[in-house]
Amino acid sequence: MFTSYPFKVALTGIWREKWINFLCILTIATGLFLITLAVLFVHNIELATRKLPEKFSITVFLEEGLSSKQIQGIIRTIKSNSAVKKVKYISKEDALKELKTSLADAEYLLEGLDENPLPATIELGLRRSSVTGAAVENLLEELKSINGVSEVQYGRKLLSAIQTIKTNSEAIGFILISALSAGIVFVCYSTVKILFYRKKDEIETLKLLGATKGFIRAPFLIEGGVIGLIGGVISVAGMLSLYYPLYQRLTVSIPLLKAVSIPLGILPYPPIAGLVIGVVGALIAIGRIKF
Amino acid sequence: MIRFFNVSKFYDNLTALRNVTFSIDKGEMAFIAGPSGAGKSTLLRLVYLAEKPDAGSLTVDGIELENMKESEIPYLRRKIGVVFQDFRLLNRTVFDNVALALRIRGISEREIKPLVYETLKMVNLRHKADSFPSALSGGEQQRAVIARAIVAEPTVLLADEPTGNLDPDTAAGIIRLFKEINARGTTIVIATHNRELFRNTGKRVFTLDSGNLVSQGVG
Repeated sequence: MFTSYPFKVALTGIWREKWINFLCILTIATGLFLITLAVLFVHNIELATRKLPEKFSITVFLEEGLSSKQIQGIIRTIKSNSAVKKVKYISKEDALKELKTSLADAEYLLEGLDENPLPATIELGLRRSSVTGAAVENLLEELKSINGVSEVQYGRKLLSAIQTIKTNSEAIGFILISALSAGIVFVCYSTVKILFYRKKDEIETLKLLGATKGFIRAPFLIEGGVIGLIGGVISVAGMLSLYYPLYQRLTVSIPLLKAVSIPLGILPYPPIAGLVIGVVGALIAIGRIKF
Repeated sequence: MIRFFNVSKFYDNLTALRNVTFSIDKGEMAFIAGPSGAGKSTLLRLVYLAEKPDAGSLTVDGIELENMKESEIPYLRRKIGVVFQDFRLLNRTVFDNVALALRIRGISEREIKPLVYETLKMVNLRHKADSFPSALSGGEQQRAVIARAIVAEPTVLLADEPTGNLDPDTAAGIIRLFKEINARGTTIVIATHNRELFRNTGKRVFTLDSGNLVSQGVG
């Protein structure tokens, strides 16, 4: 297949116009590299925000003097809510014990207390899908309306941070990826358009000799595709050459970076994207051929 | 094979052809004569569909060109070999230029090689197969164009001033070559301003002047 006529013409064309094609390949490689970075950014934010809801919890403070039957009733009501994943009851005594453990050496602070001032609480863990603004608000309303509940506390800041990070990173990622993709298509379009104009006479001759539109287009599409593909391969090579020496060295001094995930499964995508974008750019550049 | 009926062609206010009517039979070799600007090239361009007539009808090999779909044009052009006045050789080797006519027709690379070499031998250019057009003389370029036009054995061969810049001996050689091709059954139409080319050939000559067909005779 690669020795067939359109391939030969395309590869000869790439070699003849090597400088313009080289610059085009570099631009595509840079663009795809940045797109891959943007995808990794969104992916890592998504991973981080996926883990955060597990740390999000709601604390329900119970009124004083509730019987164990009443407390069991409250726990049953809370458990029946579909947003709630797990429920942990902490009695007044357990709360005091926990406080004493955490104070450790400073236990003397609690000396002189006649009675346990800590309220009994119920800690709720939520299902991941339920950690959204509206769902949490609904749940809070329900919890507050339960008899025997004195107060409800939750990580309002954490919740809004999750929401903001998620929404903004997705928007930034989408804008970056769209802008860079459009830029790459434009680069391919411009390159093929220039080559197409340079070969205008040749194309006219081909038409007069009886060439079909497909015969005329094929080398240009192959040229666009090959340029895009090479650009994609270079972007992956750049990614790998950065990943191993740089990223691994950086994680020594900035351990937080260890949490950054670079899934190797995405590596085939930049070359595929380059190929598709190259062909699309060439297709737009050639436009409609008239006889 | 080729039939013009009241064909006219205009460029802005200029009349390139006016009510031209004539026909050329299958297997015939004919000349279109006339001074520069008479409309010879336009007439040929109408036959290979590089232009469309503004009036009248035109038939090639029984096909009415007026009603032809755009997608059918390449297939009609493959029936016609053209020796362009400006050669239109691509910046590739002589072999590749000649082979192009076959590649366009989807002929396999295995078949192309012997066909191209055989044709280059016929036009006495076998030794220049690997040369680029820029390294050829005017006569050699002319023969390379002829080789490209005939390699796929077209039904019709059109030649626009094929001896334009050639010395008399080379010109005579090219006319001999056309006669050989014609003897194999190819219809040939040659546009020329050079009367010496068709003198005593016994072939029909259609003379154009300012876009009008002014005479038909035998050379």
